[in-house]
Amino acid sequence: MPSERLLPRLFLLLVLVVLMIAGWQWHRGAPLSADLMTLVPGATQDPLVQRAEQRMQEPLNREMLVLVGHAERQQALDLARQLAGQWQASGLFDNVQWSLQTDLQPLREQLLQGRLAMLAASDRALLLEQPDSFIEQRVQRLFDPFAGASLVASQDDWLGLAGRIQDSQPRPANVQLDTASGALVAQADDRHWVLLRARTLGNAFDLRLPLQVADLLASSRVEAEQSGARLLAASGLLYAANGQRQASQEIAWVGGGASLGILLLLFLAFRRWRVLLAFVPVLVGMLFGSVACVALFGQMHVMTLVLGSSLIGVAIDYPLHYLSKSWSLRPWRSWPTLRLTLPGLSLSLATSCIGYLALAFTPFPALAQIAAFSAAGLAGAYLCAVCLLPALLEGVELQPSPWPLRIAQRLVELRQQLLDKVPSAGLLVLLLLFCTAGLWQLDSRNDIRQWVSSPPQLLEEAQAIARITGYQPTSQFYLVRAADQGQLLERVQALAVNLDELVAQGKLKGYMALSQLIASPAQQRQAREAVGGLRDHWQPLLALGVPEQALEAELKGLQSLAQQTIDQVLAGPLGEAWRPLWLGNDAQGVAAIVSLQGLGATALLRQQAEGLEGVQLIDRLGELNQLFAATQVSAAELKLLSCVLIVLLMILPFGLNSALRIVALPLLAALCSLASLGWLGQPLTLFSLFGLLLVTAISVDYAILMHEQIGGAAVSLLGTLLAALTTWLSFGLLGLSSTPAVSNFGLAVSLGLVFSFLLAPWAARRDGAHHAS
Amino acid sequence: MSRLLRGLSCLALLISSPLTLAFGLDDLQRQLSEPAVIKGPFIQEKHLRALPQPLLSKGRFVLARDQGLLWRLQTPLRQDYRISAAGIARRDPGGWQALPGKSAGAEQNRLFFAVLQGDSSGLQRDFELSLQGDAQHWRLRLTPRSMLLKQVFNRIDIAGGRYVERIELLETQGDSTLLRMPESRSASLTDAERRDFAE
Repeated sequence: MPSERLLPRLFLLLVLVVLMIAGWQWHRGAPLSADLMTLVPGATQDPLVQRAEQRMQEPLNREMLVLVGHAERQQALDLARQLAGQWQASGLFDNVQWSLQTDLQPLREQLLQGRLAMLAASDRALLLEQPDSFIEQRVQRLFDPFAGASLVASQDDWLGLAGRIQDSQPRPANVQLDTASGALVAQADDRHWVLLRARTLGNAFDLRLPLQVADLLASSRVEAEQSGARLLAASGLLYAANGQRQASQEIAWVGGGASLGILLLLFLAFRRWRVLLAFVPVLVGMLFGSVACVALFGQMHVMTLVLGSSLIGVAIDYPLHYLSKSWSLRPWRSWPTLRLTLPGLSLSLATSCIGYLALAFTPFPALAQIAAFSAAGLAGAYLCAVCLLPALLEGVELQPSPWPLRIAQRLVELRQQLLDKVPSAGLLVLLLLFCTAGLWQLDSRNDIRQWVSSPPQLLEEAQAIARITGYQPTSQFYLVRAADQGQLLERVQALAVNLDELVAQGKLKGYMALSQLIASPAQQRQAREAVGGLRDHWQPLLALGVPEQALEAELKGLQSLAQQTIDQVLAGPLGEAWRPLWLGNDAQGVAAIVSLQGLGATALLRQQAEGLEGVQLIDRLGELNQLFAATQVSAAELKLLSCVLIVLLMILPFGLNSALRIVALPLLAALCSLASLGWLGQPLTLFSLFGLLLVTAISVDYAILMHEQIGGAAVSLLGTLLAALTTWLSFGLLGLSSTPAVSNFGLAVSLGLVFSFLLAPWAARRDGAHHAS
Repeated sequence: MSRLLRGLSCLALLISSPLTLAFGLDDLQRQLSEPAVIKGPFIQEKHLRALPQPLLSKGRFVLARDQGLLWRLQTPLRQDYRISAAGIARRDPGGWQALPGKSAGAEQNRLFFAVLQGDSSGLQRDFELSLQGDAQHWRLRLTPRSMLLKQVFNRIDIAGGRYVERIELLETQGDSTLLRMPESRSASLTDAERRDFAE
């Protein structure tokens, strides 16, 4: 037949084209991503919220916080200095900071410039309401030997405004400045901890950087331990490194394990070296899958690769479909057998693709990627199995081992014996009882944290750092919008009043808001006016001998101070810590972030923003978790929809009754695996639900195989067994993953496959010889 | 700034410590912890560059080796301060009030007590120390080491005989503070003072 010559050539040409595309996709480095946030739905289309989220994520993904701890303070300082030098020289970091070599002159200038704009709210209230006390406190401070020296000399600050601003600057809770070295030191657990901040050149989602940083940290850790010191480190980079390491390990396990198992199975069952060529469709499938994924999404997430490696077990089903016919078709010849099984293969591809593509309609890019990868991969494997493999296997005389068939026959007999004792209806009742009891125990749990494996050591260190330094950043924050800076600062202040209350009640650790640094234009005006009134109250200063003209001159200077904008204040050294909070102007107006310390209850935080115009709580993780729960419902709907589609597809070749039967069995299998999750005490997550969605699609194949009965009941069962075994192998290996979401997925699919295999024989035609009821 | 405060609190201690043998720093430090309690009057002159005459204040101090320091300003205004392991406190009509940001465990307190226990390494980290003279007439000069302190102090001079008699603090801005304690003597705590430390 000409098609038998043409098809392989055409297909090889196609593979060549795809290979070229792949080469083009990879020539500028691997198009892989490890950014978890690309996997979850973009909850917001609002560019400002997105920008704010990026701003808050940035330090997590680019900065590493390290504590160098030693019982001797000097040793800790020396080690920190040494470490900073080594790291800076490593070329991985943009900046490694361990000591603040503050130049005080710009600080003095900013204090003088900001005397009205940066006055703290309580000081401004005192100035407005009790000018006598304001002056009295100034006099006291002049005599107070323990007040510390002011940065601004007395003759430039007779009224003490600069001194008050200096005193009201927030200090880190547990961290003290070591004046000799400029380092920040905390004391805890009988050690002195020197704080070191390293900012990397790239971010956590570069593929190589996190691993390099983690390696550097590991070697520094070993060195530090030799001199009796401890290193504690926290950074999103370390989680990324850990995730990447794990992903590549798991890809190796799942991919390698499944490949080895399948090759072994092929060889043992068919006893021909050339049969191992049946693995070629799998490789082609992986190639097609990854090319399609990169083409559609621009990149491929490592999690897609991990989950995608389970495709090996599904893709091998196509060659197995017709290889397994060699037990009944003698002599077995590749092209004729293919023609015999082609309708089944095509149906199988269609149903699997429906199952996978149903995933694409959920709002999760993660699942869309997996769906695209898998559907394209299966199409590739199918085309290869149909067009190329028969040519590769041409002339092979298959003489399969007789033992697999004997096992299958034994299984068919066992089933028959069982059915003789208990009829199908009775078994169904038992099964439904099992399901009901299992579902009763099933609980649903959804958390974005299931998507990352968090090794206890990283968590412990992050917690230790939070405890020692008192610095507890959280991903929750408020976004405040307004028409102009004045309105913005007033809105931030209104929120700050509410937050102060939460802090006082101990329900929030702290917060940072621009209103702590700068007063609104209206308040600046108020302060300017109030300062003029001090003339009536400054007698005590005159009594000390302060010349009246000096006070008058200062007053004049104060009143001629220009109004300060947010940008001006942030540009100074005192504004440094606040700079990330300012989002600046856009077409709608201005916006700022209010960041929080220590995780707060979402409901409580949301309440604080109620009734405040322009204030919005951004709690991405909380929203995602809610979205997960909502998506579960839509996933169930998708599942039903995909079943309807499959039924429609089946009606044509099999008729309505059989089609319903073929679809009912996988649904029952999915129900059984849900129940098993309940019995096993495993939670139902979004991922296990998606796993079951997939099971339905895959196990329709088994039902079709059993329904068609090509070569008899035992041969069909053997084909199903082989297909189920290979698929089960790859998904079972996913169950070992240390990422909860991935292992949950693997477990759900594995369980579903077991039940699918057990139930598949009931798909046989009613007139089948073995059907007892 | 806390580093200034720390410097000052070290000085306050040094002021009231009897220095019997001043030839070496170790000898000097060893003497610091010897008397349990020292009391005396103090006169503080704040020389501000823009003022023709200094700001003068007077009062009395009590330094108890194991409890801390009471600093009682009497003229031109009355104000009591206390430095102890718990931090710095100021007395108001409601009793002792801890000053925020100057709590226990703060760097200045750590240093304060390092000095109290005769640990000169604490001072030496921040300052270059140079000692001249003999036990009866000595003079200790503290020159800041770190860039940060250099921007605040030019130097600190401490002088004395049997007890510290004067401390002079020269700021880079041109202001200076002179503390004199002309009549320090060894004594014991009164009940009221004991209560002040205990509260």
